[in-house]
Amino acid sequence: MAGVNPVSERLSMLMSCYLDGALLAGEIDEVVAVLDSDLDAIAEFHRLKGARRAVRLLPMLEVPLFLLPGGHLSEQLSAFLDGELTTAEVPIVTDHLLTCIDCRHELADLDKSRIAVRALPGVEPPEFLSLRREEHVKRRGWRAAAVVATGVAAVTLAFALGPFSSSSETASVTITDLDARHAAVASVPALQVSTP
Amino acid sequence: MKRMRRPVLVAASLVVALTLSTPGALAADVDEVLQAARDATFNASRLTISVWGGRTQVSDQWVEHWSGGEVVRTNSSWSAYGNGRAMTMGDSGKGFAFMSNRPVAVSERYSIGNVSDVTHLRRECLRVEINEGDIRRAVLIVDKLTGAILRSDTYTDTGKIFRTTSLEDFKPYRVYAQPSDSGSIPLEVVMHADSYGLPEEIAGYTLVDVFPGPGSSEQGFYSDGLFSFSLFTMSKQTKITGLDNPMAFVTNLGVYDMVPTAQDVRLHWSDTESNFVLVGDLPPDHARNVLAELPLPDAGSMFTRWWRRLFG
Repeated sequence: MAGVNPVSERLSMLMSCYLDGALLAGEIDEVVAVLDSDLDAIAEFHRLKGARRAVRLLPMLEVPLFLLPGGHLSEQLSAFLDGELTTAEVPIVTDHLLTCIDCRHELADLDKSRIAVRALPGVEPPEFLSLRREEHVKRRGWRAAAVVATGVAAVTLAFALGPFSSSSETASVTITDLDARHAAVASVPALQVSTP
Repeated sequence: MKRMRRPVLVAASLVVALTLSTPGALAADVDEVLQAARDATFNASRLTISVWGGRTQVSDQWVEHWSGGEVVRTNSSWSAYGNGRAMTMGDSGKGFAFMSNRPVAVSERYSIGNVSDVTHLRRECLRVEINEGDIRRAVLIVDKLTGAILRSDTYTDTGKIFRTTSLEDFKPYRVYAQPSDSGSIPLEVVMHADSYGLPEEIAGYTLVDVFPGPGSSEQGFYSDGLFSFSLFTMSKQTKITGLDNPMAFVTNLGVYDMVPTAQDVRLHWSDTESNFVLVGDLPPDHARNVLAELPLPDAGSMFTRWWRRLFG
């Protein structure tokens, strides 16, 4: 109705402003006069009020901090380093890092701590912690087997260190992994060359 | 004074008009040509053919390219590159995100040679020669409208083409094609690392950045602005898989394992202490020059060589 009749459209706008408390004195009088006599206007007024109430009752959405201008990424940085962010989130974080020196420093600190933790030597648990009591009982029986196993290990080691084998550790990398790493780094200058 | 000014203005206008109408004006230097190509938006089929050690490598891909990124489909597998990221998509998809913002300038050894107007794929193009000193290093067919390189021929120092890349079904727009599961691919983030052993420059290639690599390796990324390579240095005990049935890349200093693809080459060797892998798109003669400045392959003791000869 309001959209068809220009007068009603103006009234609808006035009533909306009335609900917002944004009318001048003369305009308030006009709205009150219409609401006293026009049934269509009263219906429109109730519709507007209902719509407003519905909007008010909507649950509040919490905007993630990093989406707000000036917000920081503390919570996302760790996930970023661990590669746990989704592909859609990564550009948000990388774009923010380009402009936010605080987050860059925090990321560098996090990375240093991560490297430091990784560099800690592995600690073997003492035997009394790793072996259960029943295993202690069985241990005697295994002692003879252990002597044989040690002999076999010594021979294996001798072969591994000699020219018979080129590998004595389990660390391995795939060439496709190295390829992908090169391709990723090679794609960086694509955006950077034009930067003055 | 006014009489004098008019001929000067006419002459100046003529010079400007002539300069603008010359194809060379659109390809002032290598940097500009390459930057325009990086910013180009298109989708196309890309055929790459390269020859390494007398064997031909062919790759047929569909690509969608835009400023800062590229999605590539090879057969049924998808991958995406750009802004320091590379990822393969699908069930076992994974990727890398490298944090690097070091600019790369095109080396002064490259210059623009002859530039001429040509028609390619029914589009108005420039044929741009890129020279390296006295030799022709590459010939590019550049689309005037988009800046995309529709065809590139890369030459060795002896004047032979070793790689050709050409686009077919070229369409100068994006279709935003990628598989629907691309939003959940785990990315390994890699930060810059300090290096104490990698040379700052190798055979005209500048060390751009250093990163920690897999298996306690170190990745040094080198570029001369036109070609690039990564040098991975790792412990001699690290096992490198995927180098089955390598070809031999022979230089006058040693023999290297080589596994070429249409796009790049992988070279592997080891000295007495370390394993080295070089991955890059550099020409064979550049590869030789680079390898000459790196640790040489260890031939091993007489007994080891005898063992290898017998059992491989």
